[in-house]
Amino acid sequence: MWLRWLPAVAAPVAIASGALIGSLPAGASNPLPAKTPAEVLVLAAGHQVRTFSGTVEQSAELGLPELPAAGKPSGSAPGPASAGSVASVMELLSGKHTARIYLDGEDNARVQVMDQLAERDMVRHGKDVWLYSSKDNTAAHLSLPAHTQDPAHAPDPALPTNPQGAHGMHTPAELAQQFLSKVGPTTAVTVGPDVSVAGRTAYNLLIEPRTDATLVGKVAIAVDGATGMPLSVRVTARGADTPAFSSGFTSFSLDAPNPSVFAFTPPPGSTVKELPVPDKPGHPATAGDPAKDHDPANAHGPGDPGDARENTDVTGTGWETVVGTSRGSAAAAESMLQDPLLSQATVAVPGGRLLSTALLNVLVTDDGRIFAGMVPPERLQAAAAAAR
Amino acid sequence: MPSSVPAERPATAKASPPRSRGLSLLVSELRVLFGRRRTWALLLALAAIPVLIAVAVKVSSAVPPGRGPAFLDRITQNGLFVAFTAILVSVPLFMPLAVGVVAGDTIAGEANLGTLRYLLVAPAGRVRLLLVKYAGALAFCIAAPLAVGLAGAAIGAALFPVGPVTLLSGGVVQPGEAVLRIVLIAAYLAVSLAGLSAIGLFLSTMTVVPVGAMAATVVVSVVSQVLDQLPQLEWLHPWLFSHYWLGFGDMLRQPVVWDSFLDNALLQAGYVAVFGALAYGRFVTKDILS
Repeated sequence: MWLRWLPAVAAPVAIASGALIGSLPAGASNPLPAKTPAEVLVLAAGHQVRTFSGTVEQSAELGLPELPAAGKPSGSAPGPASAGSVASVMELLSGKHTARIYLDGEDNARVQVMDQLAERDMVRHGKDVWLYSSKDNTAAHLSLPAHTQDPAHAPDPALPTNPQGAHGMHTPAELAQQFLSKVGPTTAVTVGPDVSVAGRTAYNLLIEPRTDATLVGKVAIAVDGATGMPLSVRVTARGADTPAFSSGFTSFSLDAPNPSVFAFTPPPGSTVKELPVPDKPGHPATAGDPAKDHDPANAHGPGDPGDARENTDVTGTGWETVVGTSRGSAAAAESMLQDPLLSQATVAVPGGRLLSTALLNVLVTDDGRIFAGMVPPERLQAAAAAAR
Repeated sequence: MPSSVPAERPATAKASPPRSRGLSLLVSELRVLFGRRRTWALLLALAAIPVLIAVAVKVSSAVPPGRGPAFLDRITQNGLFVAFTAILVSVPLFMPLAVGVVAGDTIAGEANLGTLRYLLVAPAGRVRLLLVKYAGALAFCIAAPLAVGLAGAAIGAALFPVGPVTLLSGGVVQPGEAVLRIVLIAAYLAVSLAGLSAIGLFLSTMTVVPVGAMAATVVVSVVSQVLDQLPQLEWLHPWLFSHYWLGFGDMLRQPVVWDSFLDNALLQAGYVAVFGALAYGRFVTKDILS
């Protein structure tokens, strides 16, 4: 009699054990040849992957207020989905997001941020950049100026030279570049046991700042053993146990994507907006976030003054870097604070308003300057006072 | 059509091999299920949702983009979006309600009518009866989303212009392929509802009052969806059978995302295994008194 209940016991047990086995940290099956941390750094810096497709999952628990996801049917507030808005950027920095990324050479890129029942797209084909948001059926077009095709100025090809790059999510390789550029004398670099990311065996590069003047506690970067491309990045805040931010491929292929994914024409009935051509790579509105600087040739950290961005100044080096804007962008900061979302997310501190997250602090001073860095707020205030 | 159907259930063939006996039992079960006035009433009620939406949009002023459920603002430009809107609206409550009624009735309904004994007197076997009953509930899970989707496409085509459909990725497909995508979404939802059907089947073996099993099934689906909304229970979310219900939007991307389809199928298979086994344990050890 009781034997008849056996399947009812066996089925959950089988599922639970299956789930347990699946959730075990995927150890690498084929061990990679041992490499020193320096060799892995060289491998990561020299990766030449310009063609791939993959799915990226990003999860951020930075302590930002929960924002309505762009795709939620209940989200009645207009705006979060409109291309490149502040809210859209902040929405990407909270919670979980999945995106498909296609890249083919320098000129073709597509990022699909997949929300529930909605999608935000960034397509670059040659000189044309399209941003599309399915929620309000709006498209924005941007013609890149010719000089960005100049190899000397070519930024990381994964970031399609686009001041609104935040519209799409960044690849783990782009994010890893941010942290790799900070590796210096104040950084401990080790290589952990091999990890498996998206079915590929990768070196587990562990970066630990040896300074108290940063919010970053530990960065783990999975560097693909075959190509050297960073496949995942996990950033843990100082004093925390679980990563505050992680981004990694869940599927990855080095095959050239089908060319049709790079073709985009605004769908019938959509609102099309023409965006002004950016003449300066360092647009003031994006300078506030060092995570948006992606120039790998730029060895001096984000916001190098020689980089045609006269209105930003940088104090500190490495992990202690603080990027600030000078007075020129007061209007931009004013309009930023007009945004109800931002004014709600910031707190008043002596000298301005502070947007505080687990990994990044942004200070908007009373006179409209913006200072940002992965540093404690006091350093931002000191930088603001010094720059006055 | 009389609802006292068991009388017309043909006595299973006397000397035929077990497989064809099971098959004929399945055929008769499907004939009974889809011969019922109640089944048709449920399907018609589901099909009325897109009709209601289409008429409401037709007689009212244009919906500003980004307001209301997704796709609602596109209907005036393209009638096929009625199908997507109607599916989206019916997924959280109406479809689980209809499936709960059918799945909750499977065993308890026969027990309530006093026909369960006779079904088991015929050399059918309890396991086979359970399987056939579940297959019948699954058939309804396939029919329900199809009814909503195809009725939506039909009423949309009747009231609004039909043209190439804009997918979530900004690409455009021809109406023929759009209908194919509707069928794909219906398939996704049929899979999505399989787990709930198994829960309904199990609850149906627990009682002889079909209404109790139906209500319990619907309540379970609502509770699961409420839990899915609580950020504090994030660890639980991937285990809730309703977690992927609204993931059908992945069928509207270019190229189609199959990950959620596979994750969903795996999750539902888990629920079918667990609650199928529970239903088996309950049904084969139960004293059938009615």
